[in-house]
Amino acid sequence: MSEMKDMILDVVERMLKENVDKAAVDVVEQGKWSPKVWNLFVKNGIPIVAISEDNDGAGGDLDDLLNIVRLTGKYAAPIPFAETTLANYVLERANLQVVEGLTTYMLSADQAYTLADGKLTGTAVHVPWARHAQRFVTLAMGADGTHLIEIELSKASITQGANLASEPRDTVAFQDAPVAQVSTPLSPDELRMMTTLETAFRLALMTGAIDKINDLTIQYTKEREQFGRPIHRFQLVQQHIVHLAGETAIALAAFHNVTNALVRNTYSNEVAYARLRLEEAIQTVATIAHQVHAAIGTTHEHSLHQYTRRLWSWRDEGTSAAYWADIVATQLLEQSGDSLWAYITDTKIAKDVN
Amino acid sequence: MMLQLPTVQFTEAQEQFRLEVRTFLQEAITKGQFVPKCDSWLSGDDPAFSKLIGEKGWIGMTWPKKYGGQERSTIDRYILTEEFLAAGAPVAAHWFADRQTGPLLLRYGTEEQRAFFLPKIVKGECYFGIGLSEPNSGSDLASVSTRAEKVEGGWIVNGQKIWTSNAHLCHYMVTLVRTSPFDGKSKHAGLSQLIVDLSAPGITIVPIKFLTGEHHYNEVFFDNVFVPDNMVVGQIGNGWAQGLAELAFERSGPERILSTFPLLDELIQELKRQNNVEGLKQAAKIVARLWSLRNLSIGVAQLLESGNGDDVSIPAALVKALGTKFEQSIPEITRLLVQTYPTLDAQRKIDRYMAESILHAPGFTIRGGTSEVLYGVVAKGVVAQ
Repeated sequence: MSEMKDMILDVVERMLKENVDKAAVDVVEQGKWSPKVWNLFVKNGIPIVAISEDNDGAGGDLDDLLNIVRLTGKYAAPIPFAETTLANYVLERANLQVVEGLTTYMLSADQAYTLADGKLTGTAVHVPWARHAQRFVTLAMGADGTHLIEIELSKASITQGANLASEPRDTVAFQDAPVAQVSTPLSPDELRMMTTLETAFRLALMTGAIDKINDLTIQYTKEREQFGRPIHRFQLVQQHIVHLAGETAIALAAFHNVTNALVRNTYSNEVAYARLRLEEAIQTVATIAHQVHAAIGTTHEHSLHQYTRRLWSWRDEGTSAAYWADIVATQLLEQSGDSLWAYITDTKIAKDVN
Repeated sequence: MMLQLPTVQFTEAQEQFRLEVRTFLQEAITKGQFVPKCDSWLSGDDPAFSKLIGEKGWIGMTWPKKYGGQERSTIDRYILTEEFLAAGAPVAAHWFADRQTGPLLLRYGTEEQRAFFLPKIVKGECYFGIGLSEPNSGSDLASVSTRAEKVEGGWIVNGQKIWTSNAHLCHYMVTLVRTSPFDGKSKHAGLSQLIVDLSAPGITIVPIKFLTGEHHYNEVFFDNVFVPDNMVVGQIGNGWAQGLAELAFERSGPERILSTFPLLDELIQELKRQNNVEGLKQAAKIVARLWSLRNLSIGVAQLLESGNGDDVSIPAALVKALGTKFEQSIPEITRLLVQTYPTLDAQRKIDRYMAESILHAPGFTIRGGTSEVLYGVVAKGVVAQ
C-alpha cells in the first residue's frame, strides 16, 4: 500500500465532488463527450497513477488505482477511467508499451477476435466508450495461443449502443486490421489474471456506487418527514436501513479484501467470491434504495437512478457471477478428500509479486 | 467510517497454528473423542473435552500469562474458534467463561477475582453461565427485577433468571441484578453484576427442555442467596455499561456464522459424490456469502485487537444480525439441492446435520440479542453518523 494513498484519494474525491454533478453525468447519457473531468484528471496525473516510473508513470500500486476507480464509481464519473487505466495496467503486465489517450478494452474469457499475421478480425459487443476512445486493448486467438493486443480504434467499424445507464457500449468490428502491439502467447495463469483484474476493476466501480446509494438513502431518511417525523424513526424503515448498511459493509469489505489479496499476490478466490456476492448485493441495494426514496427516486430529476441503473448494467458486464460460480464448482469437484473448510481457508503464500 | 472494517492478512505463524488445531481436532474425531455436530458451541457440552483443550493452552489464550493465559492475539483466538466450530467440536462447557467472563474480569474484575477464577477457567475446570434474561425481561433487558439488597459483608439476592444456557453444568453465574430501585427516567442506572456461586444455599436450577427434548437452558431461582462483597464485578450501579462492553465479544464472533457449517460442508461433499456441477454452482454462492461475512467478522476481531473497541458495538451488532440469518439459511438451501430425510439419530451424516440445524435454527436469531433489537441498534448508529 502506497504511503501517498490517503492523500491521493482525498484529492481525487474532492475533484469528483466538485466537478461531477448530475448535469455532468446527464451529458454522457445524451451520447455526448464532455472533456472537463477527464482533462482535470489528466492535468493532475491521475490516469498514470499505477503506471511504473520507468514508463513515465507515477509509480503507485494497484491498491491506489482500484481505490480511485472505486471513487469514480461512487460519483458515476462520466469518463472511461477504469477502462483506460485497466488497459494500460494489463499492457504493462504483458510487457507491452503503455499508450496515451482514451483507451478501452474487452477482456472477456470468451474471445471475440482472431489474430493472423499481425492482423485482427472479429466483432466484440458492449465495448465501453469505444466511440470516444483512440486505443483498444483486447485478447485475440492466434495460431499459437491467446495474445494480448493493442490496436488503434480508427481501424475499427464502430456501431453505437448503450447500457441501461445510457453509458456508451459499442460494437467494435475489425477486418484484417493491423495491430499496434502484440504480446507473446499468454499462459492459462496469465489469462486468468486478465479475467481477475477485469473483474476487480468492475468490483471497484460497483462498490463505489453501492457506497453512494447507501449515503443517499440514509440522508434521505433523515430529511424526509411523514406523520410528523423523519422516516428513519419508523421501525420498518429501520429494517431497510440495516439491510442496506449490511450490503454496503459487505461490499466494502469484499472490495478491500480483493485489493489486498491482489496487491500481495496472495489472491486465490477472492475475486470470484466478491463478484458472486456483489451481484446479490446489487439486487438488495437497488430495491431498498428505491423503496425508501419512493416516488421521487423514480424520477429522472433525482440522481438515485444514475447509480442504480449503473449497478443494473454493470452486474451483466464483464466476467459475471455465472463464470466465477463455474470456476468455484470445478475447483470443488477436483479437490479430492479435503473439507470445504480447508478449501475456504486455503491461503496462497506470495510468490512472484508482479 | 463505521461500515468500513479493517482487512486482515493471516501471518504464516497463524496459518501454521490453524493447521495445528485442525490436525488435533481430526485426531480427536478419529480417536472417537467427539462426534461432530451442528451448533456445538451451545449444545456440545463435554467437560472432558474442555479439560483436554485447557491442557493445550487453548482456553483464555489471549489472557495474561500470570493468570495462566498465553498472551496470544485476538486473531489467534479467532482462528482457534473457527476451527472448533467448523469441526463441530463440543466446546459448550467452557464457552461463556472463555468468551465473556474472562474478558469481563480482565476489564472490570478485582485482582483477587482474576487470580482466583482465571487460572481455573484456563484449565477447563470452571464454567460460567450468563444470568441476564428474566421471565418479563427479554429484549427489554434493563427492566430486570432480580434484586440484591445490601447486608453486612455482602448482598442478599432474590429473584429469577431464565434461558441460562448450561447453568446445570456451570459453577458460577455472572448475574445482572438491580441494586437500587427501578427509575423510569434512567432505567440503565442501578444495575450491577455479581458472581453467584451456583452451589450456594438458596439457588434452585430447573431445566427447561429445548424443543428437541434436550436440556440446554434453565431457570435459576434465587431465594435469599448471600453473595459476598468480593464477588461484585466492577462498580455497583455500573452493570449496564459493563455488560455492553462484553457484547462486542459476544456478538461478532465466528459462532454467529458457522453454527451450521458441518451441514454446509456435508452438502458440498454430497454434491461432489453426485458429481452435481449445477448444485456446486449454487453452493458457490453460499461459499461467497460465507466468505463475505467472515471478512466482516474478522474485521471486528481486528478492531477489538487494536483496542478500538468503542467503535465496535454497531458493526458487531451488524455481524450478528447478518451472520445468524446466514447460518439459519443453510438447511433451507441444502434441502433444495439434495434429497435429505432429517432425523436426529440418522446414520447418514447429512440427515443428522439437517435435523440438528433445522431444530436449532430458530434460536440463532434470538440468543444473545434478537435480530429486531440489533436492527434498532444498527439503524440508530448508522443514522446518527
